[in-house]
Formats: sequence, C-alpha cells, structure tokens
Amino acid sequence: MSTNNPIAVSARKVEIAFGVGEAKIFALKQADFTARRGELIMLVGPSGCGKTTLLSVIAGTLTPQAGEIEVFGQRLDGLSQAELTAFRQKNLGFVFQSFNLIPTLTVIENVMVPLLIQGTKHALARSKAAAILEQVGLKGREESSPNALSGGQQQRVAIARALVHEPTLLICDEPTSALDKDTGAQIMQMIRDLSRSPQRCVVVVTHDFRIFRFADRIAEMEDGRISRVIDDSSTLEIQPHL
Amino acid sequence: MYRLALNMLFGDRAKLAMLLCGLSFSALLMAQQTSVFFGIMSWTYTPVVNIRAHVWVSDPMVEQANDAKPMRDTELGRVRSVDGVAWVAPLHTSFLQARMVDGNFKLITLVGIDADTFAGAPAQITQGRIEDLRLPNTVIVDEWGAQLMGRPVKGPDGKITNVPLKPGDVFEINDIEARIVGICKVRRAFTGGPFVYTTYDRSKTYTLGARRTLSFMLAEPVAGVTPAELCHRIETETGLKAWTTDTVIWDWSERSLAKNTFWWFWKNTGIPFSFGTAVALGLFVGIAVSGQTFYSFVLENLKYFAAIKAMGASMGVLARMLIIQAVTAGLIGFGLGAGMAQAIGRVMIEKGMPPFVMFPQVLLATLALTMGISIVSAIIGIVKVSRVDAATVFRG
Repeated sequence: MSTNNPIAVSARKVEIAFGVGEAKIFALKQADFTARRGELIMLVGPSGCGKTTLLSVIAGTLTPQAGEIEVFGQRLDGLSQAELTAFRQKNLGFVFQSFNLIPTLTVIENVMVPLLIQGTKHALARSKAAAILEQVGLKGREESSPNALSGGQQQRVAIARALVHEPTLLICDEPTSALDKDTGAQIMQMIRDLSRSPQRCVVVVTHDFRIFRFADRIAEMEDGRISRVIDDSSTLEIQPHL
Repeated sequence: MYRLALNMLFGDRAKLAMLLCGLSFSALLMAQQTSVFFGIMSWTYTPVVNIRAHVWVSDPMVEQANDAKPMRDTELGRVRSVDGVAWVAPLHTSFLQARMVDGNFKLITLVGIDADTFAGAPAQITQGRIEDLRLPNTVIVDEWGAQLMGRPVKGPDGKITNVPLKPGDVFEINDIEARIVGICKVRRAFTGGPFVYTTYDRSKTYTLGARRTLSFMLAEPVAGVTPAELCHRIETETGLKAWTTDTVIWDWSERSLAKNTFWWFWKNTGIPFSFGTAVALGLFVGIAVSGQTFYSFVLENLKYFAAIKAMGASMGVLARMLIIQAVTAGLIGFGLGAGMAQAIGRVMIEKGMPPFVMFPQVLLATLALTMGISIVSAIIGIVKVSRVDAATVFRG
C-alpha cells in the first residue's frame, strides 16, 4: 500500500460525549483519524477507549457532535438520516462480531440482503450472491441455514454479504473474536484478499493481536483519541490490554 | 426484500404457529359469535318469513312481529275498503300451552289462518294436506314441533327414543282436541316453541273465545301498487299500522316489519351486548396474543433489523417488511378462523343447534378486524424497530 494513495476516510477533531454537566463523558475527544484507499487499517485499544464509537461515526450510524467526517469525498457530518442511510446502502459493507446472519433465511438469502436493499432484482441478486459465495468457498452451501455452518463458515458468509454489492468502505467489527486462531487467520486472509483494491478501504476494530500482521497500519486509541499510528505492525509491542 | 421478509416470518415456525393461533382464534371467535348472533336475531322475525304476505297490518301500537295487539274483526272490512287492496285475510298468533298425551305441557305458537284462502299458510307441507285444516279440530305442526312434542318410547333394547308426532296424532290446547293432519317445514321461532297452524275461526275456540283475536291482517296490493305505497294508504285511511315484509335488515325501509323486529330486539334485549362482548373479547384476545407474539418476534429479530438498518435499509423498507409479515399472518389467521367458523356453522346447522347465519358482511368485518389486529401488531413492531439505533450492531 502506498502512502501516496488518496485519502478514503478522514475524521478531524471529532467529538462524541454522553451525559451532561459533571456526568459528561467523552467517548471521542478531538479524535483525528485517516485511512487511505487500498489500505487495511486496524483500530486497536483497550475497552472503552472509543474504538466502536469511532467506527460507528465512520460508518455513518452515529452522528458526531463536533468535528468533520469525510468518507470517499463525501462529508457525512451534516447529512440527514435519509442521506446517511442512502450513503451506507451504496458505499459500506459490514462484518459484525457476532456475524448477524438472519437464522430464518438461507445462506444465499442472507448474502442477497444488501443487493435487495439497493433494489436489485431478485434473480440478479441471487446470481451475484451465488458468485461471491463461490469466491469465499461456500459453493454448495447456498441453501443451508446459517445455524448449520461452523463459526468460520458463518463469518465467510458475513464477508460475502459485506462485499456482494462492492462497497468502497468495508467496516469490520471484531471479525475474529468468535473464532479460533487458525480460522481467524483464514478469515483475515480472506478479508485482505477479497477487499484488496485500490478503490477500497478496510477498517477493522479488533482486540485480537494475532491478526495484527494483516494490517497495513494500526491506529491505537486511548481515552477517545488516536494515541499513535504504527505503519509496520511487526514493530507493535503487544500490550496487556490488547 | 419483501420476499425475504416473508421467509423470515415463515422460517420461525414456532412464532408463526403462535401468531396464527392468536389470529385464527380471534377471527373464529368474531366470525362464529357474529354469525350465531345474526342467526338468533334472524329468528326474531321468523313470523314474517313463515307467514308470507306482501303487507301486514296491525294495531298502531305494535312495534314488532312478535308483539300482537289484538284488534276487532271489523278492522278487516276497513282495510278491505282501502283503494289498492286486492285482498285481506285475518291472522291470529298467540302463545299457548299444549297438553301432550303423556300429560306433559309444551309452549306453542298458535297461528290461525284464513280457512277460505289459506293466506299465510306454510310454504312447505311435508306430510298431509293444507285443505284438511278445514276438518274439525285439526292442526298442522311444524317438523321441529313434531320432534319436540314427540312421545318417548322404550325400545326392545330398553333404550328410550323420541318418536315424532305424525298425522293422526292428537294433543290438547286448552282441553280442546287438536288432531294433526299435516306436518310442515318452517323456520324456527325465537321462543323455541313449535308453530301450530289452524284456521282463524278455530283459533278463537282454542283461545277460549278471547274478545279480540285478530292479531294481524295480511294484505295484498292490486297490480301497479307497491307494498310500501299500499302501507301508506292503509295507514292514512284507517289509522292502523301497515308493514312491508322484506327481510333485508340493513336497508332504509322504515316500514319493514322484519327490520323493525330485528332492531327492536337489538334495543330492548341484552343479546347484542352479550354477543358484542364475545366479539370484543375475540378482538382483544387477538390484539393481545398477536400483538405480544409479533412484538416478541420483532424483539427476537431486533439485532437483524438493526443490521439491515445499518446496511442502508430505510425505515420505510423496514416498516413495509413488518407490515407484510403482519398482514400475511393476518390473512392466514383470518382464513383459518373463518374456515373453522364455517365448519362449526355447518355442524350447528346439521345438528339443528342455535342458528348460524354468516352474511358476507360478517366475513368482511372479520377480515377488516383481523387486518386491524395485524396492523396494530405491525405498528408495535415498527415503533420498536424505529427506536433501535443502527449503531447497536457494533455493540456485540
């Protein structure tokens, strides 16, 4: 990844606080964050440092009280809820910690969801979903129930769902926390392989130091702001809280 | 997306079964109770159905078909003289005790009809002949009455069976012999007692010479005069009350005896309240069970709805998904409930149990109420989903 790549995500002096008066607690305090196109960047830090809040702000599911957020050239602060929804629909893919696959739908139906939200015709959505399921190695499991799959397979379905509509920004929230070491590594390799594109950026929130090696850069957070950014993950000292 | 919404609904079979139980039970209760209600209420104007004539004339104080206020026989001549009347026949109706051969008493509705014209005679004589009513002390009993007043007979196996009355059998009305010469088929009365037909003159004998025995007059308009028009003329010229006999209870005809009878019972008895309570109960049970089950379905799927929301589904899409799920469950619940109500109705009709009249309006109203329950359930779900923050998907 080149450091000259254009900026994909930019957060400047972002603030989010909960409570009022003396009970006011800052989840994000003048936080600055940058991610480039073609980059896989990890957000790490102790619990309560603001990782998830920053991720929510970048994903457009939480509006900051102060500061600026720009994702692929689009300012998110100041957009209405409807505009944010439309933005997420088109540009974002999500991989959640607990997969969030709908158990009453089949594997392929789960993968079709982002396309159907966009208004893609059912048949086209189905063929695109089948194609990406083949890419993640789940050909033949299209009609299975998510509950019939292993944790690793479920996360692969979630990755397929996150990428099926070809989003520019992939948001991964603790994608390996429910997986063992080997499966976690396989999943991260898959995220890295499938999402590696000059037009895409991947932001991963994680506590799992075993997957740091997959990152191009690692942004460490502390007390609601980025405390340091490490370009070479192999140099990252493994902190007790990580 | 909406197809997936249905797959989500049908995928959770336990919840769906619970939801359908609530909705179908509610629809069953509403459709069945309303149909029995209309069945019972349709019995209130049975005399108008059984005693066929285009115009009934009564004392001006009469309010409904079971409320006979006897008039003098001379009124027949007054009505006959009204321009537009083709013919007029007397009619007597009264409630009397009939004494059976075994000494038991039964309450009967005695109907005295004109012996010359047999105006008001039952439409269907299943045994015997109407003309035989001209013989002394003769009556025609309806099938239900023949069964009700039948004789218990001990069979060779010791089992007691009820043998219905038949032509030739005899009972007594006020100690006067009543010999059956025919059996007829008529609609049952609200009072539950049998109809016993005799001639108008003989009814005076059976009522022990009551001073006035003319309960109603049956009239027919001449060609070119409508029943409503004739009613108007009779009322204007005689001061009596005249009624048409159409049995559509929801029309605007003020002169319909059936309609006035129906609404009289509606206003003056506890029947609508009783059945209305059961229908309301069905509605509330439906809302409670279905609303609660659908809410629990939404709660269980809340994190998935939040994920769909995060992926960019608008609240409009989510609301439509929930409405489609609720309405689909509502339609299936209505189908099951109305189907069960129909099946129960058939059994009731076959067994001669309380009447069952399922008007199309009843089905439409049940459908509307079941859809109402579904929409309320959907709204509860929509409110919950609208409050869920898409950012919650990142909170584990």
